[in-house]
Amino acid sequence: MAFGISGYGIAIPRLRVKKEDYVKAWGSFQAAGVKEKSVMGFDEDVLTLAAKVSLKAMASVPVAPDKITRFALASTSAPYVEKLLSGTVITNVGIPNGAFVSDHTTSSRAGTEAMLAGIEHVKSDSTGWAVVAAADAPRASMWSPLEHGLGAGAAGFVISNDNVIAEFEGHTTYACEHFGERFRPSDDDLIHDLNVKKFAQSSLVGTTTRAATSLMNQLGVKPEDYAHVVIQQPDARAPSAIAKKLGFAETLLTSSSVVAELGDLGAASTPVALAAALDSAKVGERILVISYGSGAASDALSFKVVNDRKAQPGVRAEIDRKEYIDYVQYLKLKGAIR
Amino acid sequence: MAHVSIPMYWRTIPQRYRMVGQKCKKCGSVNFPPKGVCKYCNESSEFDEVNLSGKGTVHTFVLIGAGGAPPEFAEQEKAGGSYPVAIVELEEGPKIIGQIADADLKTVKIGMAVSTELRKIYNEEGVIRYGFKFVPQ
Repeated sequence: MAFGISGYGIAIPRLRVKKEDYVKAWGSFQAAGVKEKSVMGFDEDVLTLAAKVSLKAMASVPVAPDKITRFALASTSAPYVEKLLSGTVITNVGIPNGAFVSDHTTSSRAGTEAMLAGIEHVKSDSTGWAVVAAADAPRASMWSPLEHGLGAGAAGFVISNDNVIAEFEGHTTYACEHFGERFRPSDDDLIHDLNVKKFAQSSLVGTTTRAATSLMNQLGVKPEDYAHVVIQQPDARAPSAIAKKLGFAETLLTSSSVVAELGDLGAASTPVALAAALDSAKVGERILVISYGSGAASDALSFKVVNDRKAQPGVRAEIDRKEYIDYVQYLKLKGAIR
Repeated sequence: MAHVSIPMYWRTIPQRYRMVGQKCKKCGSVNFPPKGVCKYCNESSEFDEVNLSGKGTVHTFVLIGAGGAPPEFAEQEKAGGSYPVAIVELEEGPKIIGQIADADLKTVKIGMAVSTELRKIYNEEGVIRYGFKFVPQ
């Protein structure tokens, strides 16, 4: 039986800081193709954002929270390293205490990892309903060029057999051992990068293209069968490099490209980008989703759009709802000045 | 700091996270936050649990700033600037106090439509206290 995404929703914190403000403060801005990025308010965190997108995703189906049997949360920047994170969200949105919950937290690939947890649930129980929320706002030292691109945002999905708008076609994963790019030791709340650019690029391109190629082989499809390609967006350059290597035209990235306005959304990067693609996708079109997390792993997922229903308000409206802050305000909100 | 102990906060989670109120079995009025005795008829202590919509309108509000925040909100005021605190008339009837988040301060007006969403309220003993705030609708 066909199953897949039945509803979705995104939430972007309202505040933005511009590239120019970084240039004024530091003399340069190191995130390729990012013009501005989203910033959480003082009273927001990944759990409040996850709650918001879970409610939006359920409302877009619509499905009542008490029907949900599986909840999966993804984030690399949760407020607690030990303590259930999902509990806060399900209690707020009304998902039953008996639903199976899981927190996915160690990689920017966690967004698709959580989606696949939801997908596996519905695949094994055709009456099951899964809600998946990916919310992130990665943190790095203000001294690190890696910090420049880091934004904040969230996307939620409902996975079920009912009211499907994008049918799930299949997935593959490629996982391997890699190091030196983007890591956070357990005694540190900031991410690091050893700035080994060429080495990191080979992991990014190698891992993602292996996952995507093996998925297309498994499904017996070719790059020209896809109308939208959604790729992890640590900056604007990464998805282009991956798409080029796989033989996709750059134009297929357009519908899901959000990094220029929001920055690097970590574990929520691919999920928010997928929601953007769903907003403009037409019935019959295929969407290829490719995530990436350092360490390293990539998930590739294939969807086919089967229904024209869109989440309201759309991704564009959420991106356009904004208020600019300057760099000093940004430092205060991030707790960099205390 | 206005200390609210962990067990005391925990007991109020249904009202703080999910706007769970009570409907008086005698007079039908909705009480929020929950009471021992209905504050409208002062007669009944029998209630049905009701989930409030979280929607309402601003009855009145004040801007807290310039060091005027209570200790648990001092850091918020320092980092995020002045913030509005409103009395909101919920569509089910009760008037309740809450912060307004996500609003351009110039646009906050009496009569504006708001709805609740989950936010961090403050942090005490290393525990994040979550609860509702109002946001423009």
